[in-house]
Amino acid sequence: MPAAVDTRIEIVTPENIAFQYRVAGPFRRLPAYLIDVLIRIAVVVASAVIFSLAFGLVGLPGGGFGMALIGWFLLDWFYGGLFEAFWNGQTPGKRLMRLRVVSDEGQPINGLQAVLRNLLRSVDAVPLVPVGTDPVVFPVPTYLLGLLASTMNDRFQRLGDLAAGTMVVVEEPQRHYGVARVNEPEAIRLAAELPAGFQVSRPLARALSSYVQRRQIFPWRRRAEIAMHVGEPLRIRFGLPAGTSHDLLLCALYHRTFIADRADEADGKSPFDPAHVRAVARSDAAGEVVSR
Amino acid sequence: MKVAELLDARRENWRELERACTQMESRFSRLNAENVERFAALYRSACADLALADAYQLPPNSVQYLHQLVARGHNQLYPSRSFMLAQWWDEMFYVLPQRLFRDNCLRLAFAVFWGIFLASMVCAYNSPKFTENLVGKDMMRTMEEMYEQPAISRDPNLGGVMAGFYVKHNAGIGLQCFAAGLIFGVGGLLITISNASILGAVFGHMATMPQRGNFFQFVTAHGPFELTAVVLASAAGMRLGFSIIHTRGYSRAASLKLAARDAMPTACASVVLFCLAAVIEAFISPSSLPYAVKAFVAVFSSALLLFYFVMLGYPRGEDDATG
Repeated sequence: MPAAVDTRIEIVTPENIAFQYRVAGPFRRLPAYLIDVLIRIAVVVASAVIFSLAFGLVGLPGGGFGMALIGWFLLDWFYGGLFEAFWNGQTPGKRLMRLRVVSDEGQPINGLQAVLRNLLRSVDAVPLVPVGTDPVVFPVPTYLLGLLASTMNDRFQRLGDLAAGTMVVVEEPQRHYGVARVNEPEAIRLAAELPAGFQVSRPLARALSSYVQRRQIFPWRRRAEIAMHVGEPLRIRFGLPAGTSHDLLLCALYHRTFIADRADEADGKSPFDPAHVRAVARSDAAGEVVSR
Repeated sequence: MKVAELLDARRENWRELERACTQMESRFSRLNAENVERFAALYRSACADLALADAYQLPPNSVQYLHQLVARGHNQLYPSRSFMLAQWWDEMFYVLPQRLFRDNCLRLAFAVFWGIFLASMVCAYNSPKFTENLVGKDMMRTMEEMYEQPAISRDPNLGGVMAGFYVKHNAGIGLQCFAAGLIFGVGGLLITISNASILGAVFGHMATMPQRGNFFQFVTAHGPFELTAVVLASAAGMRLGFSIIHTRGYSRAASLKLAARDAMPTACASVVLFCLAAVIEAFISPSSLPYAVKAFVAVFSSALLLFYFVMLGYPRGEDDATG
C-alpha cells in the first residue's frame, strides 16, 4: 500500500490480519481533554466540600482541606494515567469522544506507558499563559509544544506519546455497511440486458460500489458527469444505444455484480428479507444503504 | 456467492461479535467461559472475513466496518495489563537501586544540585547583596517574617492542610522538573540549578539572621527526604533528555522510549520521597518536639536513604542475584 496521506495506521494482529486505525488529531483530542479538565475541577471542588464537612464534624477542618489538596495533586498528575491503565486506554473524556490510547504497535498500553504519557503532559502543555489578576493567577496551558511535536510525525504523537510509545486512535463505530439498494426499475431492466459473460474486475467492482453508495448525495448533473468516465467505455463495449444513462448503466452493472445473480431475478424484487427492509426504514434520511 | 448473500450470511456473526464487545467494554458484566470461547471464535472469523474482503469484493463501507469491528475485538482480546503489585515491588526495591547506583545522570544531578547549593550558601552567608540579587528583597522579607515566630506556635490544626499543600506543591515541582528534563536535558538542568541556587541562598542568608534558630528547627527533619527527592526527579528528567542526544545507536524515538522505561521508576521514587517529606514537614517539623527528636528523624531518614542507595544498590555478583 502506498504511503497514505490520510490518518490511517495499519496494524498487524497476532492473527496476522492487517486492520486499520484512524489516528486522532488535535481537534478531536481537545474536547476530550476539556471534558476531563471539567470532571477534575468538579471532583476537586466536591471533595474539598465533602472532606471539609466530614473532618469538620470530627473537629479537624484542616485535615479535610489537606485531604482535598492531596486529592487535587493526585488528580492533576495521575488522573489520566490511572484511568488509561485501568480503563484500557480511555479516560472519561476519551470514552465520550470515542478515543483510545494504544501503543505504537496497536497493542493496548500498560500501566507504565499510561502514567508516563500523562506525567510528561506538563512539557507538552508549555508555554503557560497566566490568566487573572495578581492574587488569583491561573497558568493556562496552551499545549503549543505538544501541537508542534504532533505535527512532526504521522501519528499525531505529542512528546509524552513519543516517550511512552503510544498514540491516540479514534474508535468510531460505523453503523452502515452492506450493499446499496438499487431502486430504479430502469436500472434493473437494464441489468437484464447486459451481456451475461462480462466479468467485473476487482478494481472496477470497487469503483462501482464506491459510486453507487454515494450517488444519492449528488444531483443528477453531477452523477452524469462522474459516471461518464466509466460509463461511456462500458456502453460502447456492451453495444448499448447512444443516450443510455451512464448513471443507470453503472447501477445496473452494480446490481448484477453485487445483488442479483441471474437475469430472472431482475424483476425488481428486493433481494433482501423483510428484516433488512425494516432496517432500511430505520436508517438515515438517504435510506439507501442497508444498515444493521 | 454474491456479495449481498455473503453479507446476509455473515451479518448475524458480526452483530453477535459487536454485542459481545459491548458487553466486555462495560465494566459491570463479564462473559462466562463459554461466551469467551464463542467471542474468540467470532473474532477469528471476523479477522478471516477482513482478510478475504478484497477477494469477496466487499463494498468499501463494509470493509471499513470490518476494520473497526476487528479493532474493537482486538482491544478486548488483548486488554491492557494493569499494575502488578509484586512486579512493582521488585522494580522499586531490587532493580531500581541497582540501576541508580551506576546511573551517570543521578551522579550529575547530585553534583550539580549540591555543588550549586553549597556554593550559593557560602556566597549568601558572606554577602546579603548576593541573596538580594538572587531571590529578591520580597522573598527575603517573607522568609524572615515567616521564621519570626518559632514554628511551634502555629495552629496545630494546620498540620493536615500543610501536609496536603506540601504534597501538592513540592511533588508538583519535582514532577515538573522531571518532565522538563525531556527538553534535551537542559530544561531539567536549568530548573535544578535554579532550585539549588535559591535554596542555597535562603539557607546561607537565614544562617546570618537572628531567626536562624527557628529556621533550622523547621527544616532539619524533612530536609534529607526532600532534597534527595529533588535530585532524583531531575536525574530522571535528564535521563530522558540526554537519551535524545546520546542515542547509543538507536533512533532518537527508540532511544527516548527505552530511557523513559528506565526513568519512570526513578520519578515514582521521587514522588514517594516527596510525600514522605511532606508528612514530616507538616507534622514533625512545626511540632513542639525537642530539637533532638527532629535531628534524630533527619539522621534516621538519611540512614534509610543510605540503606536504599548503597546497601540495596551495591552491585551484586551473579551468584548473589540468584540467591
